[in-house]
Amino acid sequence: MATLLAGAVATLVFCAPGYPGGTGDAKPLLDQFASAAVAAAGWPPGSLTAVYDPTEEGGLAKLASPDAALAFVPYPFYVEHAAQLHLAPLVQADMVDTGPEERWTLVAKTGRVTSAASMSGYTILSVAGYAPEFVRHSALQGWTLPADVKIESTGQILSALRRVASGEKVAALLDQTQAAALPTLPFAKELESVRQSPPLPVAIIAVVDSRLPAPRAHALQEGLLKLGHTAGAAETLAPLRLKGFVLPRLPARPAAP
Amino acid sequence: MLLLVACAARPQRPTVQSPLPTTVADLGAAIATAAERSDHESDPRIRGELAAEASRAADACLARDPQAAACLYGHAVALGLETKAHPTRASELLNNMLKALTSAEAADPNYDQAGPARVRALVLIRAPRWPLGPGDPDEGLLAARRAVTLQPQYPPNLLALAEALARTGDANGAKESYARARDMAQALPSTADRDAWLREADQGLQRK
Repeated sequence: MATLLAGAVATLVFCAPGYPGGTGDAKPLLDQFASAAVAAAGWPPGSLTAVYDPTEEGGLAKLASPDAALAFVPYPFYVEHAAQLHLAPLVQADMVDTGPEERWTLVAKTGRVTSAASMSGYTILSVAGYAPEFVRHSALQGWTLPADVKIESTGQILSALRRVASGEKVAALLDQTQAAALPTLPFAKELESVRQSPPLPVAIIAVVDSRLPAPRAHALQEGLLKLGHTAGAAETLAPLRLKGFVLPRLPARPAAP
Repeated sequence: MLLLVACAARPQRPTVQSPLPTTVADLGAAIATAAERSDHESDPRIRGELAAEASRAADACLARDPQAAACLYGHAVALGLETKAHPTRASELLNNMLKALTSAEAADPNYDQAGPARVRALVLIRAPRWPLGPGDPDEGLLAARRAVTLQPQYPPNLLALAEALARTGDANGAKESYARARDMAQALPSTADRDAWLREADQGLQRK
């Protein structure tokens, strides 16, 4: 709970499990983003550094460091780890493709899945498979999955969809960008959308474990909300597929059955 | 990543001449030269010029013989250079590159030591994956296996297979392929290419 001293260097940890990109590839883009955020917030230059980790374990390890004051994570990661990491949402990402919210879609072989109960013995594959709490209670809320349904993470969603189409007892949970591209697949007619989530946040920037003093957090929030509207911001945000940020609009979490 | 794709497209061809040549073989060689120079060029402006030069040569080659494997393959290589020079158009260019490689493979699968299948494999395993790009590691693995079946002695084919196996989760298979690539390369006379293949194999073997 050690609060960083005002003026100390804070670290923003980006973590997007299941999505492509290596730490090295991301570094220049994150540095650029950190500089823009600092300028927009009126923080001293150099007072925010950014690091990236493409894995859940790596991201959690980085977030455990006392200087990790901020997390920029997909909503599934937030759902899975917000309580454990004491994440307090600051802003919600407004994405170029989807806006600030997206729907998740469960895809199965045509005609095979007609209800939650019919998924007995199935495995659900998804980029969000590392976050079973998100899959069960956010993306598939209102469905009570049988206890024997397995949820697994995959970065190779195309392979997963081939397995679905081939008739394996596998379903794929797709984010909105993936679901929108389904018709481009040559085997699309073998696939069927069987369940869609309500609109859910795409990604969140959150303060970690109160490690940022409230005035600094407030200044950063104000700065980030302005960021999408300032001159030159598009060049900084577009490579991260961001349009800007909005205030967090987190859905009420349905109670786990 | 796009740089890697474009590098992957560099064919192992003889080098040569500048003003636009007139034969299919020489036009193919001109494209190979532009690709090789682009690999070692850090100035984006010059890379853009080399891409344009390769593209002109590919157009001339296709005008002369639209079915020649050298021209179809050269066209694919030129598109790889354009991808490197114009990353914002990567998705469209890489899709066109894959189409050109399909045509080249149909015309002569053994061209450039099974180059069409090898380059196809590298594009598919290194490009951004669906739905953001044409990347498809499963298909890349199939293409790499085709290249190795056609030309099993050629180290770059084994290196491509090793990379495809690593990307699709077969770490043991990848190591085996890297080891075979190293053995094949060691049996060849010393050249800059051979040294690069050995380095790549050694790096692959050292990865966990």
